[in-house]
Amino acid sequence: MAATDSPSTAVRRRDLCSRGIRLAGKMRADVIDLLDTYVEQQGLDASATVGVVEGVPLAAVERWDEQTGTQRLLENLVAYRAFRALLAQMLEEQREQLGEADAGLGRALAAVLLQVSAFAYHLEELLQLESRGIPSEEGDGPPPLPRLSLFEQKLRGLGVLRELAQWAVRSARDLRQLSKPS
Amino acid sequence: DSHIQYERVGADVTMKCGSMDWDAAVTWTANGTDIDESHLNGSYLILKNVDLSQSGQYSCYEGSSWHLKYQTYLRVGTPPKEPVLMCRSNNYPKGFYCSWHLPTPTYIPNTFNISVIHGTKDMVCEKDAVPKNRCHIRYLQLFSTVKYKVTLTVTNALGKNFTTLTFDEFAIVKPDPPESVVAKPVPNNPRRLEVSWQNPSSWPDPESFPLKFFLRYRPLILDQWQHVELSDGTSHTITDAYAGKEYIIQVAAKDNDIGTWSDWSVAVHATPWTEEPKHLTTEAQITETTSASTSSFMAPPTTKICDKGAVVGSGAVAVCWTAGLVVAAYSVLFI
Repeated sequence: MAATDSPSTAVRRRDLCSRGIRLAGKMRADVIDLLDTYVEQQGLDASATVGVVEGVPLAAVERWDEQTGTQRLLENLVAYRAFRALLAQMLEEQREQLGEADAGLGRALAAVLLQVSAFAYHLEELLQLESRGIPSEEGDGPPPLPRLSLFEQKLRGLGVLRELAQWAVRSARDLRQLSKPS
Repeated sequence: DSHIQYERVGADVTMKCGSMDWDAAVTWTANGTDIDESHLNGSYLILKNVDLSQSGQYSCYEGSSWHLKYQTYLRVGTPPKEPVLMCRSNNYPKGFYCSWHLPTPTYIPNTFNISVIHGTKDMVCEKDAVPKNRCHIRYLQLFSTVKYKVTLTVTNALGKNFTTLTFDEFAIVKPDPPESVVAKPVPNNPRRLEVSWQNPSSWPDPESFPLKFFLRYRPLILDQWQHVELSDGTSHTITDAYAGKEYIIQVAAKDNDIGTWSDWSVAVHATPWTEEPKHLTTEAQITETTSASTSSFMAPPTTKICDKGAVVGSGAVAVCWTAGLVVAAYSVLFI
């Protein structure tokens, strides 16, 4: 991205982007599987309209092709940090609601949470490579979520996973843009 | 005073001769031909259970003066049935298009109106000049989970109808088939065919939005296809072709992450390389060879005809066929 990249920086960026793209692809596939499981276990309608969920970063973006590399990385990082907190909350709610009765869903949620954390870390590495400071996480996460009814929690979870699936696609595209020679 | 009158198939139509009294003496014509008086009730023209063949120009003339008193163009047709609507993005991420048609003709002019809503936002679908039943939209947002709702209304003089499609941004992504598919034999490799192709030219940014490909191939003499999925690159070498058999090959494309597979590309044909016969070079040798009883391999003629005029498909594929069916017949023994 910078006009005066050293060859090693360019190689490292390309390498990080390739690995990030693969990670995003795997994450998306797992989120889609998790969505199926979640809808089934929670007794939801897969086509239910959820609407905007407070605190969930929206993948939708205007003028995507005009974004700079730094904008892409920063928006991705903010999003995945938010998803990390949201998924952790979902996992906790899941355990409270069902305990060990639905260990499969809990494990699937935990696996995706791990991937989200790994991807956030990956983005931090890319930002460091761009010699950009990594934004602090303090006060950066989603606002404390209001206590919701059980049904509202389930719908919010659906919204979180759907939006995460979109982000995984967007992230792969963002990283491909980043890895293009400047 | 001439105008157009639309009537449904099967309707009973009564035409008045302008302001003429019922008992006035008149003559009606249809497309210049006099209409028999049996269709008249006074000066009114009665057409019962009209059909499409009765569309045309109807004129009424005053009996004695032959002054034209009334003229109308009768168009017999039907109200529109529910239209068929399809939306697709073959140029993601630029936008998508919607196209439509009626399942059955109405035989009278129809007007189509399309509306596109994304969430609460109205979007403009710009009509294409060609074809007329198509419009396109530019994406204002990407990666949205909000669905698009497209409603197409068709109206004509006899009624209206509509249909609605609701879809996700990702669901309608379907590239055009790969282009310029070429299949070539590999020298000295009787079981290989080299296949190459290009991204569809309508796909705007294959670097950022790479496509993956599905290749299928089979010998012409068999029905079963072999399939290979390729996640990158625009070429592939088939390594398990039957020696000497002509193959048919097609390729399809899909965005790496979203949407559905394209239609299959135009089919191309190719035959793997076969060894040139070494010993049938003179007539004397041919005579000598054929006079001896032998169960050895009868080599095909040395001349091969590569006729590009026999090519099937858009690529520059050389389809070679030997002068004899000898090779084909002989090769069957090896399957």
